[in-house]
Amino acid sequence: MTLSLHSNFSAPDRVVVQVGGRLDAMTFGELDEAMLVLLPRLDVGGTVVIDLAGLEYVSSAGLRSFAKIRKSMRARGGHTLLLNPQPQVRKVFDIVKAVPVNEVFTSTQELDAYLDRMQRQITEGDSDA
Amino acid sequence: MVLRSIASRMALWVLAGSTLVLAAIGVLLLSLTCAQILQHTHREAAALAASAGSEIQARIDRVAISAQMLATIIATRQDSAEPLLRDTLQANHDIDGLAAVFRPSSSPVDAPPYSPFVNRVDNGALASRDLSSDARPYWNSNWFLGGLSCSAGCWQRPFLSLSRQRQLINYSVAISREGRPVGIINADVTLDWLHQILGHLDKPEGAYAFVLDSDGDYLAHDNPALVGKRGAPALLEVLASDQAESVRLPVAQNAQVHGAVWVYSAPIEGTRWRLGLVVPEAQIYAGVRRIFLWSLLLGMLALLGVALIILLTIRRTMAPLGMLADRAEHVARGELDFELPSTSRHDEVGRLTQSFDQMRHELALHLQDLARVAREKQRLASELEIAHQIQIGLLPSEHYLDAVCAYFELHAALRPARAVGGDLYSYFMLDPEHFFVMVGDVSDKGIPAALFMAQTITLAKALAPRAQTPRNLLQLLNLELCRGNDSCMFVTLLCGLLDTKSGNLVLASAGHEPPILCGHGAPQLLDFTTGAVLGLYEDSDYPEHHQRLRQGETLLMYTDGITEASDHHQQMYGIERTLGSLAQVPPAAPTAGYIERLLGDVDRFVADAAQADDITLLALTWHGAAQVDVEVCVASQLADVFAGLDRCEHLLQEADVISSLRSDVRLVLEELLVNTVEYGYPDGRSGQIRVVLHPGPETVTVELIDDGIAFDPLQSVCPNLPGDLADREQIGGLGIHLARTVTSEMRYTRNAHSNHLLLRFIYPNQDGSSS
Repeated sequence: MTLSLHSNFSAPDRVVVQVGGRLDAMTFGELDEAMLVLLPRLDVGGTVVIDLAGLEYVSSAGLRSFAKIRKSMRARGGHTLLLNPQPQVRKVFDIVKAVPVNEVFTSTQELDAYLDRMQRQITEGDSDA
Repeated sequence: MVLRSIASRMALWVLAGSTLVLAAIGVLLLSLTCAQILQHTHREAAALAASAGSEIQARIDRVAISAQMLATIIATRQDSAEPLLRDTLQANHDIDGLAAVFRPSSSPVDAPPYSPFVNRVDNGALASRDLSSDARPYWNSNWFLGGLSCSAGCWQRPFLSLSRQRQLINYSVAISREGRPVGIINADVTLDWLHQILGHLDKPEGAYAFVLDSDGDYLAHDNPALVGKRGAPALLEVLASDQAESVRLPVAQNAQVHGAVWVYSAPIEGTRWRLGLVVPEAQIYAGVRRIFLWSLLLGMLALLGVALIILLTIRRTMAPLGMLADRAEHVARGELDFELPSTSRHDEVGRLTQSFDQMRHELALHLQDLARVAREKQRLASELEIAHQIQIGLLPSEHYLDAVCAYFELHAALRPARAVGGDLYSYFMLDPEHFFVMVGDVSDKGIPAALFMAQTITLAKALAPRAQTPRNLLQLLNLELCRGNDSCMFVTLLCGLLDTKSGNLVLASAGHEPPILCGHGAPQLLDFTTGAVLGLYEDSDYPEHHQRLRQGETLLMYTDGITEASDHHQQMYGIERTLGSLAQVPPAAPTAGYIERLLGDVDRFVADAAQADDITLLALTWHGAAQVDVEVCVASQLADVFAGLDRCEHLLQEADVISSLRSDVRLVLEELLVNTVEYGYPDGRSGQIRVVLHPGPETVTVELIDDGIAFDPLQSVCPNLPGDLADREQIGGLGIHLARTVTSEMRYTRNAHSNHLLLRFIYPNQDGSSS
């Protein structure tokens, strides 16, 4: 089984990338290349939501890919959120403890609530300013 | 009881010896003195006898002379005969009566001549009568006729005068006229004076005297009863033989005297009488005997006194000895605390006492020493016993049965030649699927060997997890044992690692006896190349020998105590006999059967010769069927890695390994394989990686063998967690960390040219957590 990628811009500052299959030393390059194309299209301060519902397997190479995405998003003032990690992926995340827990969401509702909260913070922050 | 004392015995002996000497001297002196006294008595008695004889002779001579004078005078004056007789009788009191008788004339007509007889009457007056007028004419009587022939005078026989009631003796002298006897003068002499003379003799006490006449009759005797009796024949014979003047008669005639007597005799001149003086022999010696007895008594008293003094002196001197003897009994009982007599003296007893005291002190010290040595010995023995227990404790149990699936069974026996020995065996599960087993023999015997054995067995167990293979274990052990081994002790060790799933056995030997494989056909000696003994050469290498045990096969490991067991003729048991003995064991025999058989045969061979060396036997039997391993070979290229990973996953799926475990295995294998492919061959050469899968019912074991550069994932640095991965410049070590975390167990060993990684995955429990 190989890697499958689907991206969907729900807003100019938000892209949802659905990752499926296996993300390992063999396939991480595909994700890296796709994101290299995808991320510049996102507005500054935007958010990347990586939907892991279809990802069966991740190895350290995949973790490194996630880390690269987060690094490049941070450079652009944006956020990287991980959604729906499957047991194997969650186990690897737990072991490595490399991804902040508040950026991993188990369901779309949880993510939406978080995004709304974040949205309010930004607008209140704007009014404060 | 008394004689047990030295003092009394010595006193007794002194007394006895002195008495003997005294008695000998006494007897000698007595005999000498007796001889002297006898001689003296002889002389005295002879002199006495002679003087008495002279006295008697003088008296007799007076009578004889008077009679002779009367005869001469009366020859001429016959008429005045009576007055003459009277005068003479008055002058000489020894004469009792005098008679002058004449021969009648030849013519019968003539009146007989006047023959006066004057005698004393009882009142002392003199009476006279004429004998010629007697009724019996005297001239025919014997005494007259006999007297006529005695011109020189002669003594007649004594007779008892009936008229006068006394003993008389006549002295007759012929009256000669013109050469012719005309009559005789007859003097009656009383013998009273003779008795008086004898009685007044200055005789020795107890002696008596006598006078014998010519016929051998007693004229006079101190014992009046014997007067007139005839002398004893022996006496007469002796006297007649004219022997010496003194003679000894065994028995005296005198009834008043008992025992032997000495008789001294002297002739009385003018008569044929003999005077005898009888002295009882007892009387002669009485004085000296008395003196001797007194001396003896005094001597004995003196000796008793001396003996008493000796007794007291010795007893006093020896008194400490008695005490010492008593104390010696104390010593014999082991009581050394006692009083000794004071030792102010410097004689032998004093020295003995001092020596005794010194001996007691020495003895006490010696006893203390002895007790200390005994305690020491006991302590040593108990320590040795404890050492023995500890050594036995170091050895695992003699029987081990694989508890999981009963694939293998082990039996061992160790018989030390002494309390502690240098043989060893050990076995332990290295991990759930690997079983280490070893048999060794330390070069020496006794305590040093035991210590070295303990060191070896402990080190082996400690080093095994790091070593992982027999070869590594022997190398590590060798290095450890070489360190500080100045005494150059060494140990031979046969080490085996059994794969408890497959029966694969890896053997390595450090100069040990080759093991024997039994169970299929004849016992076979696995004579593979061995390395040097452990503890001597640090750079030794230990080649491995791979052997797959088939079902029912038994590997027998042993020490040279078996092959070098010697009988009385110093003949060794040897490997041939060992193989022969093992060949007797039936193929289906239990594991213990090999050990029992071989030990029994060795015992029979050795018989009652002493066991010279420790004996160790270890039998390892494989019961399980061989398991087919799943092996995947991967070339050192990433694509190949993932093809291999897919194959592995497929194989695991076929083996019904659950998916979560499958993905764990895949994750770990991917991380490790990718790592190996990326970093294991920096020189760009192509390598090969072998992945051996052992899917088990509870665990999945994976062996990863690659020929890349040495890399121990267990030693790699752990990444700094937690932290944001995105913050890091270089993201490394994550995969290894993942692999280490996900694997239940990971072991790394490095062989000569390959890395060997053993991974174990344990099935998660029901609740999903992996234990």
